[in-house]
Amino acid sequence: MSVAEGNGASNGATDMIVAEDVRKVFGTFEALKGVSTRVRPGEVVVIVGPSGSGKSTFIRTINRLERHDDGRIVVDGIELTDDIRNIEKIRSEIGMVFQSFNLFPHLTVMENITLAPRNVRRWPKKKSEEVAMQLLDRVGIPEQAQKYPAQLSGGQQQRVAIARALAMQPKIMLFDEPTSALDPEMIKEVLDVMKELAQTGMTMICVSHEIGFAREVADRVLFFDSGQLLEDAPPDQFFTSPRHERTKLFLSQIL
Amino acid sequence: MTDADKKLRDSQMILGLEEEVAPATLPDEGLDLRVAPRKEPQTPGEWIKDNLFSGPVNSIITIALTLFILWFGSKVLHYVFASADWTILKVNFRSYMTGRWPLEELWRVWLGTYAIALLAGLSRGISVIPFVFSRRRLVVLGLVAAAALLVELYVVTTLFTHALVAGLILTIVLGIYLGRRFRDVIPRRAVLIAWIAAYPALILLLRVGGPNERLWSGFMVNLIVATLAIFASFPIGVLLALGRRSTMPAIRYFCVGVIEIIRGAPLYTLLIFGVFVLPLMLPPQISKPPNIVLAVIMITAFSAVYVAEIVRGGLQGIPEGQYEAARALGLPYRKMIRLVILPQALRATIPAMISHFISLFKDTSLLATIAILELLRQARRASAALGFAGRSMEALLPAALLFWIVAFSMARWSQRLEKRLGVGER
Repeated sequence: MSVAEGNGASNGATDMIVAEDVRKVFGTFEALKGVSTRVRPGEVVVIVGPSGSGKSTFIRTINRLERHDDGRIVVDGIELTDDIRNIEKIRSEIGMVFQSFNLFPHLTVMENITLAPRNVRRWPKKKSEEVAMQLLDRVGIPEQAQKYPAQLSGGQQQRVAIARALAMQPKIMLFDEPTSALDPEMIKEVLDVMKELAQTGMTMICVSHEIGFAREVADRVLFFDSGQLLEDAPPDQFFTSPRHERTKLFLSQIL
Repeated sequence: MTDADKKLRDSQMILGLEEEVAPATLPDEGLDLRVAPRKEPQTPGEWIKDNLFSGPVNSIITIALTLFILWFGSKVLHYVFASADWTILKVNFRSYMTGRWPLEELWRVWLGTYAIALLAGLSRGISVIPFVFSRRRLVVLGLVAAAALLVELYVVTTLFTHALVAGLILTIVLGIYLGRRFRDVIPRRAVLIAWIAAYPALILLLRVGGPNERLWSGFMVNLIVATLAIFASFPIGVLLALGRRSTMPAIRYFCVGVIEIIRGAPLYTLLIFGVFVLPLMLPPQISKPPNIVLAVIMITAFSAVYVAEIVRGGLQGIPEGQYEAARALGLPYRKMIRLVILPQALRATIPAMISHFISLFKDTSLLATIAILELLRQARRASAALGFAGRSMEALLPAALLFWIVAFSMARWSQRLEKRLGVGER
């Protein structure tokens, strides 16, 4: 908090995430060619774009799963640097949900959810298990607490992954194509959880092609193409009257 | 009970599931379980026809193998009970087990053995895995017990030793009983700690006030050296494997160097190096450590690099997503490795790891080359005695059997471990 007050004036104390001219290069491939955007607290941002456009890379730079090569990223008032303590602090404030769930297969659902609260937040076992049960209730699968991930369906696993991320009581949630690996009948159950989360005022960035979800809960929709942020608009405007030709073409392909 | 229920229960009995799955709870789940029709149990005659004589080729193989087994079995039986003279074993049995260990200090070895027996019994007792007395198991156990009894009655000559052996068996039974009785009172962790503390305690018991290391010999040396090398090389190997994948070049090259250099040398060379060169590298104030200590150091180093390569294989099998998920939760590196990566990586390596440890245990017979009187050396010494000329078969076979018993037990233990840790495997 003190850090936020310290340099808050220059980057706007009200912004949860500030990205300025973020660049990332893999070998000779420019994944991000200078992306700048701001996310306010409680805002829900959906990112769309063709594959290879850098949208996943961008949200992965926000919690430093990818190191940005140039530019500036400030999360909750803390600038992301190479300082590992800094990074771990920021990561514990950001929940992330992956396309392939990435649950820990050797731990039960309960252990998956309580792992980080107990070992990072240092909560006692009892408290972390109570919080975990509340979260499992919230995502609708309290009866699965003692099972192993392999015993659950894809939709259930993804809901556990959301509960696991929420258990750290993060200020920001990142979703990296959370429904892409799911069977169609399971997509809804995961989107419902995400909608509910959006309504509680969580700051969210979702890489997702679920247009219905974007229309319903997004405050802004971002369009990425070849490492650039091309379009940034509220959903109505984005889906009905996009400004860029590239956006129009992309929308015509997915709608 | 309906017909379907009955069929279901029958099939579960065959699978050995009758204890875990109570059929009564299944309908609650709203599951409609139907069991595929199963062939009714056959008569022994039918079984033989189906399994042994199902075609001309199979029939020939069956007959040939049966003849071979009969021929070989009769040879073995004839050898064991008629032509062999086991006096050499009777005379030398103590020297096989403890070698030149003085008789008046033998109580230390017995006390240590009793302690381990009690601990082993306890562990088995508190284990939640039930001991299933299947018919086949009972037959095997009966045969083994009968053979063991026969050997015991032949080899052991004094009443006092008979009593000690009987006491040992009773101690195991007592351990199992206590473990069962106080299963809910004894914390599992306490038993684990007891096992970890047992080793240094045992060494202290043997050494403090006991005989000089030069007198340590026989099978107990094989067991002590192998156990220490296994448990010391495991953590070192894990660290080497992690170091090999480190992003810091200095650490990475150091680990790669250590692994490749030691892995390239035969164990025999390493032992010679340990005994003749390693002491020269020590500061002059320190007198030359006993050979057994040097041997443990070298065998541990040898084993550690193999463990490192086995663990590296396990680490490579962990998807990148596991690291990312752990990092995204804010877990620091060490906790990520300890809580997320290693538990998965090590589980995958159990079979290879136990194989390596079995071969390491057998490699302890190389200690004979650096003047340590381990089991194989003792057996060969026994057969070299004048009165037993031409009896080297009788001298060496029991040594081989002892090695086999331990190696086989390790293999079985590995299977149990795999089964127990198999839960939640993706």
